[in-house]
Amino acid sequence: MKPVAQFPLPFMVFALVVFLLPLVVSGSYVVGVMCFVALYGALALGKGVLLEQAGIFSLAHPTWFGLGAYVTGIAAVKGLPPLMAILLAAGFVALMAFALGAPLLRLKGYYLACATFSLMLIIEIVIANLGSLTGGHDGLMGIPPLSIGGLALEGDRPFYFLSWGLCLGTYWFLNNLMQSRMGRAILSFNDSETASRCLGINVAAYKLRLFIITAILASLAGSLFCFWIRYIMPALFGFPLLVELITMIIIGGGKTLYGPLLGSLVVMWLREGIHTYLGKVLPVMTAEVDALFFGIIIVVILILMPGGLAGWLERLRPAGRGARARTNLS
Amino acid sequence: MSLFSQILQYAISGLTGGSIYAVLGICWSVVYLITKVLNFTTGEFVMLGGMLTWGFHGAGLGLLPASLLAVAATIAIAVVMERTAIRSVRQPSEMVYMMLTIALASILKGIILLKWGSETRKIEPMFGNAPIQVLGATLTPQVIVVITFLIIVTAGLSWFLNVTLFGKALRASAVNPTGAKLMGIDISRFRLFCFGLAGGLGALTGIVTAPITFTGYEIGLLNGLKGLVAAIVGGWTIIGTVLAALALGLLEGFCAGFISASLKDVFSLLVMVIFLVLSTYRLGFRRKVP
Repeated sequence: MKPVAQFPLPFMVFALVVFLLPLVVSGSYVVGVMCFVALYGALALGKGVLLEQAGIFSLAHPTWFGLGAYVTGIAAVKGLPPLMAILLAAGFVALMAFALGAPLLRLKGYYLACATFSLMLIIEIVIANLGSLTGGHDGLMGIPPLSIGGLALEGDRPFYFLSWGLCLGTYWFLNNLMQSRMGRAILSFNDSETASRCLGINVAAYKLRLFIITAILASLAGSLFCFWIRYIMPALFGFPLLVELITMIIIGGGKTLYGPLLGSLVVMWLREGIHTYLGKVLPVMTAEVDALFFGIIIVVILILMPGGLAGWLERLRPAGRGARARTNLS
Repeated sequence: MSLFSQILQYAISGLTGGSIYAVLGICWSVVYLITKVLNFTTGEFVMLGGMLTWGFHGAGLGLLPASLLAVAATIAIAVVMERTAIRSVRQPSEMVYMMLTIALASILKGIILLKWGSETRKIEPMFGNAPIQVLGATLTPQVIVVITFLIIVTAGLSWFLNVTLFGKALRASAVNPTGAKLMGIDISRFRLFCFGLAGGLGALTGIVTAPITFTGYEIGLLNGLKGLVAAIVGGWTIIGTVLAALALGLLEGFCAGFISASLKDVFSLLVMVIFLVLSTYRLGFRRKVP
């Protein structure tokens, strides 16, 4: 069955609020933070589907994000038009995800997690050591602004709409994907791989396809991220980002598709709160310190509220209506 | 320096690193076999051991009392962590355990960073600093301490697991938890014991190696992960882990010496990825066709 266009009502309301926000709020602070919410949200949405809907325990998501950002950045610095650079990055990441995913996805559970975790660290170290190409530990500087057909997009507002476009587009795409033939196959092999194999579902092929799709989505978010802050360094795509993504999925609740996006909203504003109010109290303020607070949140939520925010929201929803959108809520 | 003494020098530094990974690998497998939790805080125990000793020593304690206090504190942290966080998870699964321990690791790391900053620290060596010359290569007394430590841990644990009743019960509950429970073995006490053991051994490793490799808030992640490489490649057994870790250490030593020091981590992590992928093929090969 071909994916059909679906626009559930809460999604439309959310999109409308997001669209109206920069018209209501003045100043660039809120808009700037919301850009990060959108980009990390897009990333977390893909990872949420991979982890919770498909049960593929891959931790390499920061890698695809980082590779997307780096390839785009390097291509743009070398003078390629930004749109071409973004496409090049997506193509490169898709190829990498195919080449690495095909052997790695034979693993399951802990072993897959260990292998992808090592992969993330390996690529971070390699990027940091390719000094002449990537700028090494100091990072890649001098990335030109994003321009489409000679029209330069600078400032917060264009970026706001672009990144929220990507984020909501990702959600819409994944929502349709999960209701297509492939989505049903994904849900079934998450429940029982043996049973779905008996039904004639090619589990390995679907896993690889989903892995590549989410890698491409992460790469697109990385490309926009690279044009948004216009300075990237390897430390941005390592362990702290992984902890952040896990926090988003756990706070939001990964059993629903929109959970990670809620999580991104909470985590990013929480980070801003930590930086604003605790920045003067604490001696250092790095991504590792953020990770300390996120770690505490993960532990508390896993113990007290395993469904996350979305699990709590789903309980408010009347039974029966909208049951179809409630994918895999156990 | 002749090529031979150069090789010997790299081998010595490789074996030193390998000993660290061996003890850490044992920490991973002890916890994993009993509780089925892949404990990502293992590396942080090493960091805690080193940093706490440095901190207590700086606060005016002697080196030995500071080390003992650091080990005790790390054991306490490990035990409290198991009791409060890991045991009270409502819907346990591999994924939840892994996210939980990654979160706990970043909590420990963040606290140390806030308390003592991001500089690397050094502890005074226990037996002086006079280098010993062996066939053209130099080694410090601390290297001998590290390797002796590994031998003591391996021998001690093997004796403990194979001879004492407590150790036998521990092995039994790793093989079959339900069966062990039926025989009257208190599994939850063993879970606590394993976390405490991992914490204590990890902290000791951190203290013993801090004079050579220095210590800092961020050393836990990579060291711990290499211990995991050794545990996986060694098949979660003590002797296998030790052999795999020493081989891994030698590989790293030679890579650092002959290829590039900054890429040695890449090689040892690649070992894990390649081993894991190959092992799936081997299992597929062995599967009996019905």
